[in-house]
Amino acid sequence: MGNVLNLLIRRVWISLLVLVGVSILIFLIARVIPGDPARIALGPNATDEQVIKLRGELHLDDPIWKQYGYFASELLQGDLGTSLYTNRPVVKDIAQFLPATLELVFAAGILMVMIGLPLGIISAKYEGRFLDNLIRVIALLGVSAPSFVWAVILMLLFAFFLPLFPIAGRIHTDFDIARTTGFLLIDTLLVGNLRAFFDAIWHLFLPAFALALSGIGQAARLTRANMTETYRRPYIEMAHSYGFPGWRVARKYAFKPSLIPSLTIIGLDFAAMLGNAFLVEAIFAWPGLSRYGVAVILRKDLNAIVGTVLIISAAFLIANLIVDLLIALLNPKIRYARRSP
Amino acid sequence: MKNPTLEIIDLSLSFKGLMETTRVLHDVSLTIGQKEKVALVGESGSGKSVTARLVLGLLQAQSKTRVSGTINFEGRDLALMTARERRQLRGSRMSMIFQDPVSALNPVYRIETQFHEVLKRNRPTINLDDARGEATAILGDVNITEPERVLKSFPFQLSGGMNQRVMIAMGLINEPTLLIADEPGTALDVTVQDQTLRLMHDMVEERGTSVFFISHNLGVVREFSDRLYVIYQGRIVEEGKTEDVFANPKHPYTRALLAAVPSITSGDTISDAINDTSAFLAPREVHWDA
Repeated sequence: MGNVLNLLIRRVWISLLVLVGVSILIFLIARVIPGDPARIALGPNATDEQVIKLRGELHLDDPIWKQYGYFASELLQGDLGTSLYTNRPVVKDIAQFLPATLELVFAAGILMVMIGLPLGIISAKYEGRFLDNLIRVIALLGVSAPSFVWAVILMLLFAFFLPLFPIAGRIHTDFDIARTTGFLLIDTLLVGNLRAFFDAIWHLFLPAFALALSGIGQAARLTRANMTETYRRPYIEMAHSYGFPGWRVARKYAFKPSLIPSLTIIGLDFAAMLGNAFLVEAIFAWPGLSRYGVAVILRKDLNAIVGTVLIISAAFLIANLIVDLLIALLNPKIRYARRSP
Repeated sequence: MKNPTLEIIDLSLSFKGLMETTRVLHDVSLTIGQKEKVALVGESGSGKSVTARLVLGLLQAQSKTRVSGTINFEGRDLALMTARERRQLRGSRMSMIFQDPVSALNPVYRIETQFHEVLKRNRPTINLDDARGEATAILGDVNITEPERVLKSFPFQLSGGMNQRVMIAMGLINEPTLLIADEPGTALDVTVQDQTLRLMHDMVEERGTSVFFISHNLGVVREFSDRLYVIYQGRIVEEGKTEDVFANPKHPYTRALLAAVPSITSGDTISDAINDTSAFLAPREVHWDA
């Protein structure tokens, strides 16, 4: 297991480096967008003196490397500055909006894995047969339309024409749940309100499913591709020649080696959902970070933009880190690789 | 009367393509008696490997295959069994050894797990510790000196020869009556192949296992098998006791095959042998009136 630990430490270091790079990049990009943030923040009626004063407070007149210096040292103290849009510390905004988004993305990720992988396994096992073709069509539909299109379609079908699901929001307004973690599914359980818990799941389902659909399709297609490849390997024939039942061969002998190459993409898809969530949240009026992100971008709220992007990058890095770790645990060749000199 | 371990009668196989049907086996008949080692010899594409897979019942389920003829295993007709019954035979009454041991063992499981799985075919409730014990014993029989280390390893951590021994041990651990060896060790280098074949020979002699040995290598077959069948383009063209066929090959194809075996007889120098070899390396046509 020493190898896994080494790998983990190395990956954490690389991730931190990437995070620094991302912070520089996003900081620079935010600064070169045309328009004066101080002017936008103060509105059209502000006097020039007010604008100049705010520019001074925001260090906007210093050289750019100095500005980054201020930004980096504040970032290390957990301070992302104040949002010009909400007039609150960005960290506070993110803490408020992030849990809703994470809840949505985690739910979508779970759906992606729980539906996508089994579909891929079934598809590979019945390669070339009716069930396989059916699943492939569904998977292709899933990947060929973006999440926000699915969001609109699902909302029309299952919330409007056929009112099976609520049309928007995270929970019915009748419930007043004390906020502890910000994750409604956890908070409702903490206060022991099961009805609110199920109401939250009920609200969560459509947006999560819309967000997950392309991931489900992607996961199913990847799993199928890798598994049909694995099925042609001698060790699968060997498993058959030892008379293991077909499903056991699929689950135990073919799936595990096939999962390793799929996992990288699934991890990336999972992280990409944070970005896709932007529009899904907008459609389902989901009070999450993505809606906040869109709002601050439109208002050129630099601190908030940088904060939002940093959080999303961090999510990507964490997802990658987890995937690398999972792959190392699944693939003995990585776990027991001799260290190169 | 005692049934032969395996009896194949007029076995034919064709693969259905889009436009036409390709016939792969033409009325193949062969018998393997109890404790007998029988080789099926032929070039690539002659139908050796599909015969083995038909005996295992691996091809029958595929929709594009047409099979006729009879395969009797220990006196029971495979065609009359359900797919489940055929599956029950595999891994317990008959098992198979593959060409390339490294790719035939599953890359993501330890050797001990793979032994455990195989042992569970006969005894579903056996626990990992007992499986380990039995595997250690049989790995000792195939001359593996550190069975504990091998059991803890993954296939990629072992050499080809080591993997081959593991596979032989795995093929025999459930005491099958028939062992099918499909070009065993062809992927290994010659000396290792020779060692493992001798080992396999001793193992099956000891256990009284019948062997269906598939090979294109007559030199190997001569050492290993009691009787042999020569297959060419899906037809059995010659059969007989190994020494008889080698002494007096009747079919031109067999003669051609025999001519392809390099031999260094006493008195030859190495360069003679090389000259000798260059003769059959030249392309030649095979004529006969079959």
